Amino acid sequence: MIRKRVVITGLGIFCGVGKSVAEFSEALCSGRSGIQPLDLFDVSPFPSKIGSQIKGYDPLNYFDTKIARKLSRTDQFGVIAAGEALRDSGGTDNYSPYDMGVSMGGGAAGMFQGEIWLKAHLEGREERPSLLRGILQDQTSTDIARIYNLSGYQGTVTTACSSSATSIGWAADLVACGRQKLMVAGGADTLSILTFAGFNSLRVVDPHPCAPFSLGRQGISLGEGAAFMVLEREEDAFARGARIYGAVLGYAIAGEAHHMTAPEPGGTVAARVLCEALERAAVDVSQVGWVNAHGTGTPLNDVVESNAMKQVFGERAPMVPLISTKGMTGHCLGAAGAIEAVATVIALNRHIIPQTLNYRGPDPGCDLEYCHYGSRLTDSTIAMSNSFAFGGNVTSLVLSL
Amino acid sequence: MNSHISEIVVTGYSAISAAGIGIAAIQELGRRGGDALTAIPSDVLGSDGYRWGKVDGFKASDYMSPMKARKMDRCSQFAVAVAGLALKDAGLDLKGLPPERVGIALGSGFCGVSNSAEFLTGYFTGGVEGMIPMIFPNTVPNSPASNASIEHGFKGPNVTLVQRFCSAESAFMMACRYIEEGRADVMLTGGSDELIPLIIKGVKAMGQITHTSAPFGEGCGIVVLESAAHAARREAAVKAYVEAITTIGMLASGREHEGLDLLTGSADSCSLVSLSGTATDMPELLDRVSGRPVIDTGFVIGRSLAMGGTAMAALLVSLQPGQPALHLAASQKGPYFAIRFSGGSSV
Repeated sequence: MIRKRVVITGLGIFCGVGKSVAEFSEALCSGRSGIQPLDLFDVSPFPSKIGSQIKGYDPLNYFDTKIARKLSRTDQFGVIAAGEALRDSGGTDNYSPYDMGVSMGGGAAGMFQGEIWLKAHLEGREERPSLLRGILQDQTSTDIARIYNLSGYQGTVTTACSSSATSIGWAADLVACGRQKLMVAGGADTLSILTFAGFNSLRVVDPHPCAPFSLGRQGISLGEGAAFMVLEREEDAFARGARIYGAVLGYAIAGEAHHMTAPEPGGTVAARVLCEALERAAVDVSQVGWVNAHGTGTPLNDVVESNAMKQVFGERAPMVPLISTKGMTGHCLGAAGAIEAVATVIALNRHIIPQTLNYRGPDPGCDLEYCHYGSRLTDSTIAMSNSFAFGGNVTSLVLSL
Repeated sequence: MNSHISEIVVTGYSAISAAGIGIAAIQELGRRGGDALTAIPSDVLGSDGYRWGKVDGFKASDYMSPMKARKMDRCSQFAVAVAGLALKDAGLDLKGLPPERVGIALGSGFCGVSNSAEFLTGYFTGGVEGMIPMIFPNTVPNSPASNASIEHGFKGPNVTLVQRFCSAESAFMMACRYIEEGRADVMLTGGSDELIPLIIKGVKAMGQITHTSAPFGEGCGIVVLESAAHAARREAAVKAYVEAITTIGMLASGREHEGLDLLTGSADSCSLVSLSGTATDMPELLDRVSGRPVIDTGFVIGRSLAMGGTAMAALLVSLQPGQPALHLAASQKGPYFAIRFSGGSSV
């Protein structure tokens, strides 16, 4: 099976810091954060009361009443972002519906609506059953496929916070080896009581906006959103005169087999995954300009990721900025990998390395370059995007202009 | 989307289902006739007459320490146990293998839902004091694959997929690709699912459980895949060969026949068929394999979203050497999978 170069011909994003690629790009370049007080549900019982919520969202601006009532918040975000990417690409008229598919990563899925049903059930009240329609992660991809007439591959990766990064790598492979002509790949997830209460119960949510790689960081800020990219073979994209944003050069995944929540402290498995991703992308470590970190802002994760960087880049590690966009978007869980991959592609196109926001001072355990003081101009054309997850899942993508 | 697969073999499989522990329990049920379904207690759905395929007689502490078992959700307990049984069936001793060359790709059904419901119930009824933090990590659908990897030490590719009634087949396809690409020598693949009264209530509320609909079930089925070269090096018994995988996401409006043609191609050569998910409910799909003997585990142990691992194992254990077989899986509105096998040399 011959692998071909896979290019990105469309981008779409919908999250707390921007409801389109244009808005998100502005925020990325200016270092604007979407983390602010939450009002989606009652957060008063928790130490943290902030996150990156999509404020002012009215489904009726995007869907008619009937459809809006049927789709979960996650499904809606996914359909909106995938739609932006597909319209941007303009590629769907060029292929048979059976040659076009969807690959996405999910997280809490329709839990936000499911919680309304469960609470009513516990209180002996009846709620409309359609609140449960999106409870499983596959509903969003099914809706995207149906609405945009994509009859080819349909799959949903659910490896928590690495889901959507894996979904992009997998989609790129389906295109590279000729199994599909066009894939829309990404992820969608929303804030929910389950994840907000759950992470708070584990005491890994920072009461202040998350401060990746900073002194005194206390954990994550949660977020929500969706991001997608359209992938095609380079030769097909050229043939139809498509705009090309960049390429997915390769990816790697693994399980650490260490612990359900704690990363393997040495970062050796993470380092192996980064190296394998580079090898599969046929990229030398010297070609990588910067890395979009998983960078959650939890005390342990940031140190482990920094350790992994040192193992991969050796003496050059301090010269390869390891940045986190989570200070801007919050941790969007199942959508995080896709949002960060899209952010990486946008940054490559703008020739910047984004800033890691919310700096609180230098941490001796995080002694690399994190662009805490501002974004930088760069002529780098290759960057990596890392995602780590509950269960020890690790994914790394290699992206280029 | 058609993919011819080369050089991937099946060397082991196992399952836990309503029929019992191991794939032999399903075979025995097939020989004996009847089913392993039991009545859903009337207080669950408010009336009698509904059945499900619940796993009885499974004791997690037979497969792991009681302390570990307590921390895991039921889907994870199933996955850890069945992964061990499947590895044993494959004669694989992981101590002799580089852990990064062994991976796992599982389909998930309702994995994580019971823990999510328990965690939220604690919060809704007792506020922050009612939350049980220990439960939260196992609310993710990938906990079965991750717990199996932690218990057995797989450090290769690790992934979980959910795609309606084709969750296990989605995982199977990815597992094959990872071997094909050289990312792993051994991949465990299949699916895990559990049923609790709340899930049944929810599914019923959505109108998917009626007195005439196929009953839901739970359990786990795992198949051990290896590159042919790896299996040959360790002189493993080859139970089956993976020949091809085809999938479509849905039938395009006005082009349904084209979709079904793409999916099944010529089914002439297969002499044994297994049906998974809602494939049984699709006459247009069944027409394409009419006249062939069919194994339909859903009717005897209950259907589940990730039943494909068990259904494939039930097919594979029935294969004669060289016998061509077809596994068809479907969800009501897609996706659809057609996976072709042929019997190995030592079935």
